Amino acid sequence: MKIKKILIANRGEIALRVLKTAREMGIKVITVYAEDDKHLPHALFSDESYSIGEGTLQDTYLNKAKLIEVAKRSKADAIHPGYGFLSENAEFANMVEQAGIIFIGPTAESIILMGDKIGSKKALEKINIPLTPGYHGDDQSEETLVKEAKKIGYPILIKASSGGGGKGMRIVHQDFELLGAIRGAKSEGLKSFSSDKVLIEKYVQNPRHIEVQLMSDTHGNHLHFFERECSIQRRFQKVVEETPAPNINQQLRLKVCETAVEIARGINYRGAGTVEFIMAQDGTFYFMEMNTRLQVEHPVTEMVTGQDLVKLQIMIAQGDKLPLNQSEIKQKGHSIECRIYAEDPDNNFMPSIGRIDTIGAPSLRDVRLDCGYLNGTEVGVNYDPMLAKLVVWGETREIAISKSIHSLDEILFLGLKTNRDYLKRILSHGDFIAGNIHTHFIPDHKDELAPKIASSQDLADMIAALSFAEKRLIYQESHVMEKNPWTELVGFRN
Amino acid sequence: MEKTFFINGQEIKVSNYKKEANQISFTLNTQDYSYMMIARNGHEMILDNGGRFKAAVGSFSREGEAMIIANGREAVGAIAEKKMKKSGSRSGGLTSPMPGKIFKVLKDVGSKVKIGEVILILEAMKMEHSICSDKDGVIKKINYKVGELVKGGVSLAEVE
Repeated sequence: MKIKKILIANRGEIALRVLKTAREMGIKVITVYAEDDKHLPHALFSDESYSIGEGTLQDTYLNKAKLIEVAKRSKADAIHPGYGFLSENAEFANMVEQAGIIFIGPTAESIILMGDKIGSKKALEKINIPLTPGYHGDDQSEETLVKEAKKIGYPILIKASSGGGGKGMRIVHQDFELLGAIRGAKSEGLKSFSSDKVLIEKYVQNPRHIEVQLMSDTHGNHLHFFERECSIQRRFQKVVEETPAPNINQQLRLKVCETAVEIARGINYRGAGTVEFIMAQDGTFYFMEMNTRLQVEHPVTEMVTGQDLVKLQIMIAQGDKLPLNQSEIKQKGHSIECRIYAEDPDNNFMPSIGRIDTIGAPSLRDVRLDCGYLNGTEVGVNYDPMLAKLVVWGETREIAISKSIHSLDEILFLGLKTNRDYLKRILSHGDFIAGNIHTHFIPDHKDELAPKIASSQDLADMIAALSFAEKRLIYQESHVMEKNPWTELVGFRN
Repeated sequence: MEKTFFINGQEIKVSNYKKEANQISFTLNTQDYSYMMIARNGHEMILDNGGRFKAAVGSFSREGEAMIIANGREAVGAIAEKKMKKSGSRSGGLTSPMPGKIFKVLKDVGSKVKIGEVILILEAMKMEHSICSDKDGVIKKINYKVGELVKGGVSLAEVE
């Protein structure tokens, strides 16, 4: 069955990303928006857009029944969940399919299996996937956990079984820290994910985060689209991602990718997925987790393989065979993604909010800015602070780095504090350029990544700019939505 | 003419400040600077001081502050006489660590608190931040109600 109308159950840049491909495939798009998002482009540029009310996320973008009701009312034949929100919610996937609508994603069974960090490891152990030495048992008593932790040997990582984004994670280096860490991870897990089940793992020193993009159709084809290096992280949040992973030989690259394909085949996976591995400096790698959705950083893979991953997702969902085989998927050149966050890296990464005066646009070839905002729109506190993704392709890694640095200066996001300058400092760091990266890159290089003190010349440049702007001194009340050029269009929407 | 600017909160005085149409010159730290504005488009401009570079200045806030981007560097700036109010009134009490929404208020004005006791909880970027008393004492003021939006660095409550 050909999909003719897709409802995108998401917001911001990923909603626009899916919209773009759907348009290119001749598919109509329905978007939804919470009331405080009604001026954002995802609410404006689709074929139909519906309000899902206001309130907490539970009332809006996480309101399963409401989303399905909108899909039914607008006669959507498929729902794309994007990433985050309900993308890895098995109950939602089930509800969608029970409503007779195609869920553009994996089966509920795969979501449940991979969402459970303990269950997924048990399943993968059976098909001989390398796992980090650890304890994933059901006996959650403190005595057992302490005993198992000591058996594995420090340093160890304790994490909430259903955790994510760094929540409920503790690193333990010494005996006396152990009990506190177990209790902390348990209570955080209980609070954030309503489960106090924890698992313990060997903590790999200076590990790299290497992940593999997978795509599986319903005809038994499981393909990989090579790896991504996502080691540049701050508090377990990715900041810079790239592909190919630097300083990895071809043999190791293929071994990692093929291991990921074995996982997809082993669990009879469907759709787009990503297997994350932890890789030690000697190239040993272990399965970490599988994300059963499209990833934020999927564009770097698209840049080097020339494939549209959202298009493949849609094709798989409508029952098509993957239109290519493994040998036709090749890596060409190098791609880097920088996540632009509304935060102040020079002030302890405090989130910043406000009105975007001017976003700006990259001017170089093969540079893509995936952004969910328009000039004049507001960035509030209710959603993720990621403003946009700058994705750059270059023939070599060196060129991709220099193009990224140049492009970061072209996208201003004037009006908000952003991490643009911080990203430039990462990309200009000697160890980053040399490919000496691991997940502690940011904390380890904290001092070198700190802002340089402004020289007299810098200050003079700023004073000059400020003086020229003086006659334009206009006080802008935040939330002045009347100034948004798209405001008048809103009346045309349902 | 002397003129005072604030760049990222730092007070900077320049002398010999002269501004005509598209030309500005001044002395900063005994060094003379001269700039010409070659072009402007909205918030963005091209400046020339012997070499050309891009700059942009955002809308000015109620406090008279604006974002400046010059030659790739970012800062918050203000011009002294236009600066109406000192930014981030941090005067005394417990301040918000970041912009957010008041999620819970756990204590009332007049109630006794011990150091470290949670007075209110701020919700920002999907995380909860407990605002704890910085001393043993009595709550003198709570400046916000549940659901209100607050900026970063503003006083939320006072304990005496």
